[in-house]
Amino acid sequence: MRTVAYYKGCLASLSAKELDISTQALAPKVGLELIELEAVTCCGAGDIHEAEPDYYLHLNARILAYAEETGADTLMTVCNVCTLNLRQANHALQGDPALLERVNRNLTKVGVPAYSGGVEVMHFLWLVAAGEGYELLKGAAHRGLKGLKIAPFYGCQILRPSKLLGFEDPDRPSSLERIIEACGGEAIDYPAKIKCCGFPIIQAREETALAELIQPIEQAKEAGADAMVTPCPLCHLSLDAWQSKLKAQTGKDFQLPILHLSQLVGVAAGLADSELKFKRHVVSVAPVTDKLAV
Amino acid sequence: MQVALKIWRFDAEKGERALREYEIDAPEEATLLDCLDIVKDRLDGTLAYRKSCRMMICGSCGMRMDGAAVLACQVRMHDVAQAGHVPVISAMGNLPIVKDLVVDMAPFWGKIRAVTPWLEPGFSDPGEQEHVVSQPQMNAIHKESLCIMCGCCVSECNSMEADPDFLGPAALAKGMRFVGDARDQATVERLQAYSEPHGIWDCTRCYFCNERCPKGVDPRDAIAKLGAEAMKEGIDSDMGAKHAKWFVTSAKTTGWLRETELVPKTQGIVKSLKEVKFAMGLLRHGKVPPPFPPHVAEHVGEARALYDLVQHEGEDGYDGIVQLEHALGRLEHEDGHGEAAERGPYGEGSFPKPYLPGEESSDGGGSE
Repeated sequence: MRTVAYYKGCLASLSAKELDISTQALAPKVGLELIELEAVTCCGAGDIHEAEPDYYLHLNARILAYAEETGADTLMTVCNVCTLNLRQANHALQGDPALLERVNRNLTKVGVPAYSGGVEVMHFLWLVAAGEGYELLKGAAHRGLKGLKIAPFYGCQILRPSKLLGFEDPDRPSSLERIIEACGGEAIDYPAKIKCCGFPIIQAREETALAELIQPIEQAKEAGADAMVTPCPLCHLSLDAWQSKLKAQTGKDFQLPILHLSQLVGVAAGLADSELKFKRHVVSVAPVTDKLAV
Repeated sequence: MQVALKIWRFDAEKGERALREYEIDAPEEATLLDCLDIVKDRLDGTLAYRKSCRMMICGSCGMRMDGAAVLACQVRMHDVAQAGHVPVISAMGNLPIVKDLVVDMAPFWGKIRAVTPWLEPGFSDPGEQEHVVSQPQMNAIHKESLCIMCGCCVSECNSMEADPDFLGPAALAKGMRFVGDARDQATVERLQAYSEPHGIWDCTRCYFCNERCPKGVDPRDAIAKLGAEAMKEGIDSDMGAKHAKWFVTSAKTTGWLRETELVPKTQGIVKSLKEVKFAMGLLRHGKVPPPFPPHVAEHVGEARALYDLVQHEGEDGYDGIVQLEHALGRLEHEDGHGEAAERGPYGEGSFPKPYLPGEESSDGGGSE
């Protein structure tokens, strides 16, 4: 078992609870012992980075400090945006002793343990797409996906900027494909799998966001996808919940089920209904569950 | 070495596109631009592309290789040829094609002009002395000043694909270059203008611009700096700014995002009432978490106290983002172990990496 600090972030605590539930259920099957961080806040989602950048840095330093306090060397995230925000703050603090000292002075003033820079932030995807996690995943996914055609959708902030993320080639990523195939599914290819889903501006600029959102959904459908999988709950929310708006706008009713990564692996690993929580999706997951006879 | 290329040819007059393959003999050190020169010289004189300096300074030879915008003079072809890969070369995206690999840069220049890309120093007379700008003040706009206006960032901008009127990464980074200039006297007017529709708040944060820029400008970060500075100046009536502010309010009150209130706080009550039907659909699936009782983080008092503390730190506005760059800049020039990497602009680590089929590049381990 690899022990990691677990930061679930806002959405998995709230509207995407199914992501947290399925991640917690799946973790032991892929060799992960999760220490859930309780006294942490939002990472700022890029918005606090823009509105109050120094506050963003302090909030993320606080999360990193509490992760370090658990004794784990890895902070596991389940969201692309959390991953980028935390890795960015972590790099800034690790590489600039004066900055770390100033932030630590403020953290300790308010009762937070000082951060020494000893934690690496890793997305759940990275922990199961390589190394021991991947070997365990192959064994755990015994129930398989019966050749279901799955469209991998990466989302932006797990690939770019690659100098901060750097797990794989940002133009030709393959981690999701490898996992889909290890679970017995067929990974389908389409150009928009590394593009933006539009979520960050879906409330402020819905028209622009929907013009982005339709690309992966339409292309995946044309390529014959039965379902799509994403490692990001923000992508999941726009891809799943906003499909109805695409229908209202374009008349096209895609009905493409969108799975969280933990649900895709989880269904192949035989997690129970109560652990997958597919009923919490807006677009029905029946095409997947019917085929797998879950 | 033998180099094979597939090039998307385009004849605008006839509207015809064709993918043609060329094979040439090139010196081992040849760049993509050298190879195009050889094709044009020996095989097909009608091939059209732009070039000038051949050393990543003029910004003329932006084009796509295997779908990713590059400077043709930057990419060495040796590894690609050795792997037997035949790359596809095409014109940049988000700009109209004139012929083959030549795009019409007029929309690009129009957006650059729209941000008033010159210093507005006012009329303060320094008298016998000069206007002195300190090194830290110049450091604040160092990255933005590196732009060579090649258009590689614009080529793959996801927002601009969806909204061709979006000012885009190059123009907004240019805007930051002047907003951050200590001599400029038009900062507030600039921030107001850039905060209009199709400006700062239209960026979708796809980070393609940071990934593609061959000069390390990091336009997305420049856009974030403009947003931070605009909000510092109280220019925050756009829905994008209100969206960002709600995250701050959430963090210092409950710690976690107050998700359900985000829509009315961003869009206003009237507009969000139109979303009631949509929201009801989400509610049925638990996608609208009830705001009461609020989901409050443990020890949230610490997050509130931190907020109060940072208000006195003097690192607000774009300074708050610039301070992060001191450490992040090292990522450009050093390997993960802190030693200066032997990493020339053309060698290993240059971006985008040539596509080499069969190469196992993704067995992971992170960038550490």
